[in-house]
Amino acid sequence: MVQLALPPNARIDKSAGKHYPAPSGARRVRTFRIYRFDPASGQRPRIDRYDLDMEQCGPMVLDALLKIKNEVDATLSLRRSCREGICGSCAMNINGVNTLACTRACEDLGGGDVSIYPLPHMPVVKDLVTDLTTFYAQYAAIKPWLQTRTPAPPDRERLQSKHEQQRIDRPSACILCACCSTSCPSYWWNSERYLGPAALLAAYRWIVDSRDEALGERLDALEDPFRLYRCHTIMNCAEACPKDLNPARAIGAIKQMLADRQH
Amino acid sequence: MTLRSPLGRVLNHGAAHGGVSHWIVERVTALALAPLAIWLLVTLLALPVLDHATLSIWVATGWNPVWLALLVLLASWHSWLGVQMVVEDYVHGLTKTLTLLVSTCVHALLALSGVYAILHIVFAGTA
Ligand code: SF4
Ligand code: SF4
Ligand code: FES
Repeated sequence: MVQLALPPNARIDKSAGKHYPAPSGARRVRTFRIYRFDPASGQRPRIDRYDLDMEQCGPMVLDALLKIKNEVDATLSLRRSCREGICGSCAMNINGVNTLACTRACEDLGGGDVSIYPLPHMPVVKDLVTDLTTFYAQYAAIKPWLQTRTPAPPDRERLQSKHEQQRIDRPSACILCACCSTSCPSYWWNSERYLGPAALLAAYRWIVDSRDEALGERLDALEDPFRLYRCHTIMNCAEACPKDLNPARAIGAIKQMLADRQH
Repeated sequence: MTLRSPLGRVLNHGAAHGGVSHWIVERVTALALAPLAIWLLVTLLALPVLDHATLSIWVATGWNPVWLALLVLLASWHSWLGVQMVVEDYVHGLTKTLTLLVSTCVHALLALSGVYAILHIVFAGTA
């Protein structure tokens, strides 16, 4: 059935948010409005407001979040690791845009409050931490490894021309942060059956790898009205990608290949 | 509650090996509809008046009924495919199957009655 109303625990309890004022003497105050939800608590999600002195805070949104966690409110949950845009774990929705907290500068967010939510339309484990189990399974489903029948040369690696290498250069830069898939409306409505832009970009990365010998099988596995054809070229994915990749174009190329092998 | 593995859930029934012709036909019908729609607009605007008698004669003149029938059929086909896409996006389960069934019937009816009306005007004069 079409679902029109949100379930209660997806609706924010406007009366419940807490406010943490800036320390006295703060000079450049900025408010961070952060989504808080603990499914185990039995309470609805709320928005807490944290006023920080930006003079005493690092430049990135992640710096602000860690300052809050370390100095203001240790109960805030978030994921991060590399703090330099390469592990993909700090993906979240900042001022309405999916991106990495560690590479988004607070300065670049204009003036006013900063709103921080978890990645959209994913089950929330706690606060800004979402459950990406299905997302990772979708990546595993496209068999993200080299498949060959020809044995590798005994004395060296499998060769690739410079041009062939360039084709996998960009798609290999995906860090699986899920910013793209969770910004895709098609993924929201059919997240179990549509593979989503991240997994499809990964599939493309192996489809165009000149060393791979499973192109046919890879295309076979994508030839499905839901796995692939839910993409309607809305382009949110390319818009969201913090690594400037373009899953939409990769998906278009896969569709073109599937059409080409029909005639 | 399910204890099935996430990968098992995602792989599910496997690929249905469909969708390619849907994708191609969607584009081909759109391409064909563009010149037909322009033809319809231009020739209609070229008519002196747009009353019932003039239009009836226009429908039965020369190749007009052929282009018109083609337009009706292609538009119904294209719309049927488009509605199917939208329904599959937003509706799930049994409701989806039923909605698709209704949409198919409605589109078939539209296409057939359109062609029937054209034939009627050509062979039996206006209704
Ligand atoms: S282009 Fe496709 S994958 Fe990207 S956001 Fe749109 S529907 Fe999703
Ligand atoms: S394509 Fe971009 S947004 Fe999507 S998972 Fe990879 S790095 Fe993240
Ligand atoms: S912490 Fe690794 S990408 Fe942000």
